[in-house]
Amino acid sequence: MRRLAALLAVTGLLVGGCQWPRDTAGTLDDVRDGVLRVGITDNRPWTRVAGDGMVDGAEARLVERLAEQLGSRVEWHPGAESALMPALHDRVLDLVVGGLAADAPWTREASLTRPYFTTRTVVAAPADLAVPADLAGVRVAVPAGTAEVAALAAEKAIVVPVADATAAGGLPVVVGEWRIGELGLRRTSHELGSHDHVWAVPPGENGWQVEVERFLLALSSDEVERLLVAAETTGTTP
Amino acid sequence: MRFYDRFELPADKAALHRRAVRLEWWTIAFFLGAVTLLALTLGQSQAMKAAWIEDMLGLVPPAAFLIAARFRNRRPNDRFPYGYHRSVSVAFLAGAVALLGLGGYVVYDSLARLIARERPPIGLIELFGHRFWLGWLMIAALTVTMVPAILLGRAKQKLARQLHDKVLYADAEMNRADWLTAGAAALGVLGIGAGLWWADAVAALVIGGDILRDGMRTTRGAVASLMDNRPRTVDERRPHPLPGELLDAVRDHDWVADAWVRLREEGHVFVGELLVVPAAGTDRLVERLEELGRWSRNFDWRIHDLVVAPVSRIEVDRSTATDATTDSGAASLPARISRTPAAG
Repeated sequence: MRRLAALLAVTGLLVGGCQWPRDTAGTLDDVRDGVLRVGITDNRPWTRVAGDGMVDGAEARLVERLAEQLGSRVEWHPGAESALMPALHDRVLDLVVGGLAADAPWTREASLTRPYFTTRTVVAAPADLAVPADLAGVRVAVPAGTAEVAALAAEKAIVVPVADATAAGGLPVVVGEWRIGELGLRRTSHELGSHDHVWAVPPGENGWQVEVERFLLALSSDEVERLLVAAETTGTTP
Repeated sequence: MRFYDRFELPADKAALHRRAVRLEWWTIAFFLGAVTLLALTLGQSQAMKAAWIEDMLGLVPPAAFLIAARFRNRRPNDRFPYGYHRSVSVAFLAGAVALLGLGGYVVYDSLARLIARERPPIGLIELFGHRFWLGWLMIAALTVTMVPAILLGRAKQKLARQLHDKVLYADAEMNRADWLTAGAAALGVLGIGAGLWWADAVAALVIGGDILRDGMRTTRGAVASLMDNRPRTVDERRPHPLPGELLDAVRDHDWVADAWVRLREEGHVFVGELLVVPAAGTDRLVERLEELGRWSRNFDWRIHDLVVAPVSRIEVDRSTATDATTDSGAASLPARISRTPAAG
């Protein structure tokens, strides 16, 4: 026991000056003043990949900010998660972003960071529209093809699929909580789900992971919301 | 002779046994606490899964001990004419298999991680407004769980020797295994922090090998004990000296020309047969035999339920010395062979 404590103390002294924890393959050293290879999926408003390969979105902005802090140049690699994650595992990529949720099933291939932002999906309505406490039989607009369609149906609401939350046409609408202010809506008590958002880094690159987590945890939620709103309002056409 | 007599520990041993029961309840409380602490620090990670399995296995020996403690002193009856002492042997087998399972699991798990070249991710944690590396918290939690395991293990090992209680001994081994794996894991986390991805798995592999060997020795002992092998010491390392000592003492009686004893362990007590060849012209034979039975039971607190039978001749059969393959030297031979030819 005493020997272990002494060992810990000695190790503490040894690593006091150096970087701790260290990467198993030195990703942080490679990224710093070098190239940051980022896998990106199209997941608005977090990330957006245009037809010409230009990337945009809240997390794209954040990645650029991180790269700036580290003095590195970002190299974007658009793709699907199932293609990007194995590349991340083998350290062909240094980071994967795209509105990943903390319960993403990629824990074998990737290490997910601590959640840095939580989004809630709620039912919102124009200020002058009263929404009953029970949604049964109420017409509610919801972006088509999302999990919220099923969540609404489970509450026995009448689902009105729309292309986008802005096309609700005065109905109560399912929307990310952070959009309420932008769309001039009022939040109701109905919450359909919440997601903790994370980024993915190669497993075992703990120095790099800690660096990314420090960056993400230092962000205020207002800042992230502003970026999300900005991503929603600029250029809705691809 | 009284049939169905009850066995009770001598007063000092009974006090020790009550202490052992208390220690086992503490052990269960400790393991439940450790599971909670690990759940809070590790979350639902792979490492947490391994710790869960280890702690669940750690609960088996104390639970087996406590269940056996409820049965071991029950009075023999028509259904269980030999009494319930064997419940301790059954508990010993359960505890030994749990130890073996733990060793096997740790070895398998660490080998699988090495082969898959798994690189354990350990990131940041935020606690009370401070952000620091989760590894430090894991090391702290692991170190904290080591302390009670060391203390409980030491106390139980000492008690187990005094009580000749092999379940308790297996449980002490389990506690040793527990703090060793925790120590290995703490070193492994340090290694991961230093950028050595294999450190955790290699540390676990070394400790796992040690536990596996312990588990194999204990399981072999438990199975052999259920097969009525000759009594062995509580750590299963060598034959117990008591049968030999008893035989020598019986032969020191004037009227005993030759004797032979066969004992087996029923949990914490020794049970068996004592054959004696009375010297020619021995009077009051029946009384003497009964007296010898009482005397043998008083010879040592572990001797219980000894059948004493008179015979005219005891034949030496050297072919019974097969035990020599597992033991070494003269200790392996049946007790009577070490003696010079029968006198009288």
